[in-house]
Amino acid sequence: MNKEFVPRITSFLCKWCSYTGADLAGTSRLQYSASIIPIQVMCSSRVDPVFLLKAYLSGSDGVLLGGCHPGDCHYETGNYHTRRRFAIVREVFESLGLESDRLRLSWISASEGPKFARIANEFTEEIRLLGENPTRKSIFL
Amino acid sequence: MISGEEERMDAAGIPYMIRPGKGPEGSVLDLLGQLIGSGGADALLLPFRVPSGDSFAWIMFSDVSLLKDAVPFPATMPVQGGRALRSLTRKEKGKLRIIALMRPCEIRAGMELSKLGQVNTENLILASYDCPGAVKLEDYVADPVSCDSAHSEMRSRGEPSGNARSACSTCVDFSMVDADIHFGYFGIKDGGMLVLPGSPAGRALLEGLNLEEGRGLLPQWEAEISRLAERRAATREETFRETAERISGFDGMLATFSNCIGCHNCQSACPICYCRLCYFDSEVSRTDPEALITAAEKRGGISIPPDRIMFHTGRLAHMSLSCVSCGQCSDACPVSIPVADVFSFVAERTQRAFDYKSGRSDGEALPLRRFLKNELDGVHEMVKDAESEASPNE
Repeated sequence: MNKEFVPRITSFLCKWCSYTGADLAGTSRLQYSASIIPIQVMCSSRVDPVFLLKAYLSGSDGVLLGGCHPGDCHYETGNYHTRRRFAIVREVFESLGLESDRLRLSWISASEGPKFARIANEFTEEIRLLGENPTRKSIFL
Repeated sequence: MISGEEERMDAAGIPYMIRPGKGPEGSVLDLLGQLIGSGGADALLLPFRVPSGDSFAWIMFSDVSLLKDAVPFPATMPVQGGRALRSLTRKEKGKLRIIALMRPCEIRAGMELSKLGQVNTENLILASYDCPGAVKLEDYVADPVSCDSAHSEMRSRGEPSGNARSACSTCVDFSMVDADIHFGYFGIKDGGMLVLPGSPAGRALLEGLNLEEGRGLLPQWEAEISRLAERRAATREETFRETAERISGFDGMLATFSNCIGCHNCQSACPICYCRLCYFDSEVSRTDPEALITAAEKRGGISIPPDRIMFHTGRLAHMSLSCVSCGQCSDACPVSIPVADVFSFVAERTQRAFDYKSGRSDGEALPLRRFLKNELDGVHEMVKDAESEASPNE
């Protein structure tokens, strides 16, 4: 019961940039938080708002969405659409008084291994301060 | 057909009037009959009372002798007019030129569906009217006679009463919207009525009818509309404040939505939810039994089937940008969840985030169909610090 709180952060990472960035962090032997649970998607715009909600309501303490930098999308404009969709989910969260700080959108390129490691650590720390996702213990969903 | 803002402003120049006598209902039916007679349109789409007597149905017809049975201002809204427009034009522009008389929110839903490629307005003439609000279906089915008189009272006062939908009490778009023709009667004495063209097509139709020029009636109508709008805006603010308090946080969401029976009526009644297969009705949305067991072990228990909250928050994320706050969802809910209050409240915020207003015909694409290269800095503000450091390849 006294175990230290270890957040679980569901991370949707695009194949071309963020996931490759995460790979680079690994091959560069950079230490980063084990809280990150990566899920590879072809493009950050593949991530429907419902995926983020599902991750949150299934008890993820944080949800990270990683895509290419604006202008660098492998599919040219995918991440611009991601940004708009993400903004809607955040707005819905804020309107409903849910903790929108548990959602994070980051641009991480394939060459930014160190940035991936830093974001993973920073976000884990922020989530650790926020504490456990309140939906985690609810038996009603 | 609906055109751009400028054309609409030009078109709106000449208001016509109909003198008191037959009352707004009779005058509207007369005028629609004349339009069919003069060949201005091929058919009409109007509500009729159904044989059971406690509801209304959209009827498309061209036989003017049927006109006497039409109910131009029905007390309830059983089928959202936007859906009727979609049924007629979902494949291509309608073969017939049809005049549809609808509540402002129904026309606004039609506009959203048109942007979503589900309605083609090219051969449609959309006519709106000053709407006092719709009576809740539940109340209407229980006692149509007294609800009809309550609704006629609402029409004469221009305001929703006790058994109106909550969405109507908070509606500020109850009068002229982006329609081709608008019938304005709020605040005009003795049953006189303004006939306002809203587009070149609407103006062309009305010009052929020898109507009297009605500029004189404009001031009293405009004054009444803005007085009523102010009152409804105040109710809106109050309702939104209460809603925000009630739903706030995960516990608030549970308190509001946990009695949901998962029938998805709100989604089926919603004019905007047009997807043939909704994600929430699809196989992928069903949680695997194994996963339910895992979840139950972790949480100590789990409601089966799960995902009530996800359904509603998911719908908010999917359709709130196009929500026209018509209130169909609340009316369709068998357990009286104030769905429309929550959706209207959230919709106002998501639409504001994109400077968007649903239901306009200004040619502006839906927010999710477009983007700007530099926008929404706040969305990923948490990584701003990281962003400002030059990345290795920049």
